[in-house]
Amino acid sequence: MAELTTFSFQPGTSLLHKLDVRFKLLFLILISLISLGGGFTGLGILTGLVTALIIHSRLPLKSGFKEFRFFLIFLLLVLGARMLTTPGTALIEIKSIAITRPGLMSGVLICWRLVIIALLGFLFVFTTPSSEIKAAVEWFLKPAAFIPGKRIATMMGLIARFIPVILNQARETADAQRARCVQNRKNPLYRLIRLGLPLIRRTFEQADRLIVAMEARCYSENRTDPALCATRIDWVALLIIIIICGWIVSI
Amino acid sequence: MDIIEIENLKHCFVDGTLGLDRINLKIRAGAFVVVAGPNGSGKTTLIRHLNGLLLPTDGCVKVAGVSVQKDLMRARRLVGMMFQDADSQIVGETVYGDVAFGPENLRLDHDQIRERVALALDAVGLKDFAEQRPHLLSGGEKRRLAIAGILAMEPKVIAFDEPFASLDYPGVKQVLKQIITLHQAGHTILVITHDLEKVLAHADRLIIMQKGKIVRDGVPAEIVGDIETFGVRAPCASHLGIEVRSWLN
Repeated sequence: MAELTTFSFQPGTSLLHKLDVRFKLLFLILISLISLGGGFTGLGILTGLVTALIIHSRLPLKSGFKEFRFFLIFLLLVLGARMLTTPGTALIEIKSIAITRPGLMSGVLICWRLVIIALLGFLFVFTTPSSEIKAAVEWFLKPAAFIPGKRIATMMGLIARFIPVILNQARETADAQRARCVQNRKNPLYRLIRLGLPLIRRTFEQADRLIVAMEARCYSENRTDPALCATRIDWVALLIIIIICGWIVSI
Repeated sequence: MDIIEIENLKHCFVDGTLGLDRINLKIRAGAFVVVAGPNGSGKTTLIRHLNGLLLPTDGCVKVAGVSVQKDLMRARRLVGMMFQDADSQIVGETVYGDVAFGPENLRLDHDQIRERVALALDAVGLKDFAEQRPHLLSGGEKRRLAIAGILAMEPKVIAFDEPFASLDYPGVKQVLKQIITLHQAGHTILVITHDLEKVLAHADRLIIMQKGKIVRDGVPAEIVGDIETFGVRAPCASHLGIEVRSWLN
């Protein structure tokens, strides 16, 4: 049996699974925008909300953390860059390098915002099938006649379908290389090249096979999309999100 | 009535390699045909012409009397194809979603899709797995899911490319049973394999390919004797001079 990446849709019965995808997309955009302007208190409230949603939807945070390890390295780089480049009162000073208090504060804030947005994205993908994401994007782009909505939606749906496939390939390739003691090679560039090239090749091969299988089943842009239907629960959720966002803005 | 008619089919790949060399073949509706041959003999290339996944360099392929090139969608609806790697055939995020993929592409309405998916899942015994993630199914179940995905498009012909590859014994039996049930339900069956042992007992026609050509074509019992000269292992039973028996007995 295959071990799956957690960065993919998993069927379930949580509130997030039941919500209309258009509302979920709207919540994702709203909360992301609010988090960009939020201070420590606002981000604290949003963290509480995201934590509750993670627990409720049973997001496998432990394995998700493993998938996010490269993102965490990126966050550390952002934090380091902020701490070292923002002028202000020095907290620690070693020769000419100083870690400043405003730098630390702004670095933590930025990383916190990025973590919230990433977790929201994770929750969205975890609770929404890619066919619904495609249908929602198409719905949002419908009024803009000059934008090829169907094509963009199809591309987004395929990207959402492919992210777990690529992550799976990366894990399998890395495992195969670990089995042949790649960890004894300390040069990170060597290891990156050794992982990257076969991964790209395998991803393209897999994409090729998937395209053939989809073609064999008459795939086209014009297909029956999932029926999108807003219920009372979606409107109630929207009201709650607006209240929370308004509260954070007013702080 | 011949459901598949292939006339003078030639296929060259982009690098100039000759994949198929002047193939002439007719398959009657309801037949159970096994196509065997060593790797690179052109088996997969041949069946990919049946639903237009590959187009002829020369010659013509007709499905139910109509040229595949003239109406690709019709050919793809009439000829379902199960690929060697069942994983790469899975496009849905749930078992239900995967089976619904084909009918959605045919632009059926939601009620029709629900009905077809329910029938297809019932036919392969995966009704209780509808909300399960497909990648977590066993090898045999994945193959059955692929069959359900094909059945939901209501094809006349079903082509299986190495359906038993990397399956354990129960998995082989599950898939074989499914293929026989489909044949009994009236589908024309094409099985591509280089492992005749598992399926030959059920076939009414055996085609052997080598280097892009059909080198033997006939009733299995009559031609199985010399197939090893073409790089295909004959079933053990035929070596012992006894009748090839089904794996289901």
